[in-house]
Amino acid sequence: MSNADVSHQSTPAPASTTTTGETEETVRESWRTYDVTGEPAVAVEDLNVHYGDDHALKDVSMDIPEESVTALIGPSGCGKSTFLRCLNRMNDRIKAARIDGSVEVGGEEIYQDGVDLVELRKRVGMVFQAPNPFPKSIRENVSYGPRKHGDLDTSLLSRLLGRDDAEAEEALVEQCLRDAALYEEVADRLEDNALGLSGGQQQRLCIARALAVDPDVLLMDEPASALDPIATAKIEDLIGELAEDYTVVVVTHNMQQAARISDQTAVFLTGGELVEYGDTDQVFESPESQRVEDYITGKFG
Amino acid sequence: MSTVTRHALVAGETTLREYVSTGVMAVGAVLFLASWAVLFQWVGERTPVLGVDLFTLFGVLLLAMAAGIAGVGVASRLGHVSASPSASAGLVAGSLFGGIGFVTGGLVASQTLGMGTVGWLAVAVATGVAAAALAVVPREDVGSTLPAALFLALVGALLVTDTLGLGWSWSPNDVSATFVGSVMVPVVTIAGSLVGSWSAAKARAGFGTQGREAGAFYLIRLSVFGMLGVLTLLVGFIVKNGLETALTNAQFGLDGHLDLPGALFGVALPDWSLPFVDVQVPFVTNVSQSLYVDVPGLAPAILGTLWLVVGAMLFAIPLGLAAAIFLAEYTESRLFRQLVEVATNGLWSTPSIVFGLFGLAFLVPRFGGGKSLLSGQLVLGFMLLPLVVITSYESIKAVPDEYRDASAALGVTQWQTIRSAVLPAAMPGVITGVILGVGRIAGETAPLLLVYGGPPFASQNPNVLSSFQFTSSPPFVSNTALLDAGSALPYQLYTSITSGRLPGQGAPFTVQDFGWGTALVLLVVVLGLYAVGIASRLYFRNKLYNE
Repeated sequence: MSNADVSHQSTPAPASTTTTGETEETVRESWRTYDVTGEPAVAVEDLNVHYGDDHALKDVSMDIPEESVTALIGPSGCGKSTFLRCLNRMNDRIKAARIDGSVEVGGEEIYQDGVDLVELRKRVGMVFQAPNPFPKSIRENVSYGPRKHGDLDTSLLSRLLGRDDAEAEEALVEQCLRDAALYEEVADRLEDNALGLSGGQQQRLCIARALAVDPDVLLMDEPASALDPIATAKIEDLIGELAEDYTVVVVTHNMQQAARISDQTAVFLTGGELVEYGDTDQVFESPESQRVEDYITGKFG
Repeated sequence: MSTVTRHALVAGETTLREYVSTGVMAVGAVLFLASWAVLFQWVGERTPVLGVDLFTLFGVLLLAMAAGIAGVGVASRLGHVSASPSASAGLVAGSLFGGIGFVTGGLVASQTLGMGTVGWLAVAVATGVAAAALAVVPREDVGSTLPAALFLALVGALLVTDTLGLGWSWSPNDVSATFVGSVMVPVVTIAGSLVGSWSAAKARAGFGTQGREAGAFYLIRLSVFGMLGVLTLLVGFIVKNGLETALTNAQFGLDGHLDLPGALFGVALPDWSLPFVDVQVPFVTNVSQSLYVDVPGLAPAILGTLWLVVGAMLFAIPLGLAAAIFLAEYTESRLFRQLVEVATNGLWSTPSIVFGLFGLAFLVPRFGGGKSLLSGQLVLGFMLLPLVVITSYESIKAVPDEYRDASAALGVTQWQTIRSAVLPAAMPGVITGVILGVGRIAGETAPLLLVYGGPPFASQNPNVLSSFQFTSSPPFVSNTALLDAGSALPYQLYTSITSGRLPGQGAPFTVQDFGWGTALVLLVVVLGLYAVGIASRLYFRNKLYNE
């Protein structure tokens, strides 16, 4: 049972018109309601984001099921990245952003006083559009999060006292690199600078780095858009494997990619509204909204 | 038929044009270097070369350059050599040659022909306009060569006929200066060789866009060499004047011992020695004045400078870096940030004597009423502070936001992010700022006169390390050396200029030599500080990108 249904009944369906499509249509509540079996990993209700005067996200509500891949697609500027960055409160770092609404991660509201952002971001990891490894060694990149959280102690003092976590670090780095399908390629050069890796390797390293803090949810903001087709294919395979253990939310421009990798698809259209959300097959094969169909078939967007 | 002219894609064999232009440029380079050598009196102006006067030879070579340039230009215009000239040499070349024509015409009219004010002005304007017209109106191959050739021919003729030579001198009425031939000849030769080589550089590349490219590149290279030349000249001059003094009674051998008295470092170490190396430089290791010292040395001044720099850095780097981190990472208020930026920029451009005055009025009375090392360190620290703030702030701002985002997305706190991701990436920039600042304060004299300078020739080294004393009552630790006045290298240079003579008797050199030696050692110390800074910057950069 989804508790999102209940709230949606109390929310009037926003009347929406478009000038880009041939027909004007009103977004129906049923198009964007998706029943999640069990507890949703992330539950979003009536999320609104303003950047100054710009209304970037309008009344978005969606439940994201756990251990699955959810794709967010839509044209540029439709708010899908903004939505993604709301889920781990990275938008807090943008001063002009104003966020209203409710986001629950694992049943806990993250937009309330007293939320520990450190703890939240450990639970909701993020991979960015452009690979952004630190200018450090591959090993240090992976162990960066746990080290800074104090989960791995490799300080000089503890090394001198002989009680550092070097072995634990070794194991963690190897595990995360394996999970990110990178270990075989870099096993013999873990001490090399990460900036020497290729773009695709860097992106998988960033995924490994995010996995090292053991998140529940992994947000990916167009993770393959800066990569060549082979690296993209590797990332796509990896996303499928990650979904066995993690809840993955992927923003992508590429509709074929969304169709290939995701279990659910949410379509955002210009103006920051969620128009349709459902099983990927259903959204791509028989979309309920005319505008979504136009977008998917390439008539618009 | 198309108006677009086409040229061969692949350069063919070297043409006559290129041979001649290269020859002209080579002659120009020789003339350029020889003229500088004469200007600095490395070569006497009366030296006969190949049986003729040096200046006559200059004239002949200039005439040869003129002939070469004009030949290439005219041959190209007549179609005898291949080239791709533009329709006109352009306004830049026009105004350059116009200016040269104005000056040359005016000088020749007033000096050589002896015309009055009205006369020479008219001639100057006329020649200027004519030269500009000659450059702009004809096709480029003529426009950029003939005016240059005419100028070179004129100068060359003046030199060959000895109209402008050693016997020539000019004392303008309104100026209390005299221009003499031995200076003016090299100067006009330099001008001639530059103009001629520029023109030849264009001709060598076949005029047109390629020619302009070559000409511009020639000028840029020339500026670089000029800058390097000035630097080399300056350093060479100081080395030449100071080296003999600095090496007075110095010994370098492989069969002795390297004796380093522990007292030099202010620590009560036993004197230690290394076998097989014997290096003694009394000018560097002796004190400046003592009964038992035969070679007055700079040890107090060198150590004083080093302690000043260390103290200033200890004061300024933590404060400045913290301020920069706060400005770049924490403060939200733009107004506040701009205010601090304006304040630090203002502080950086404050004259050093004002800092010294502040130290004298505010610090000196609070540190026992006398000049002291501590006041000097603090005043230099104040001076270093703004530069550390400015450069650290800029380099922290330049760290890509991606690092901050990546770190924040891993749930790492802001301070940890700054410490582990931002500061390491900003470190090379921070160090660059510190190097620049240290280079400035190490050579600073004015504030030291007011807050630190002791006797003109110090007889004691500042023993900072061995002067720490621990007591059982507050303040528990004291250091008399920090409260003593002393000497520093720039201060020592100042005193050796102003004091008139070296104290004591029997010094193997005069006070002027002592001053030159001090300047050399100061230069070496400052360059050494730079070297240390650059090495640490390379270390951090290496750590960032090539681990």
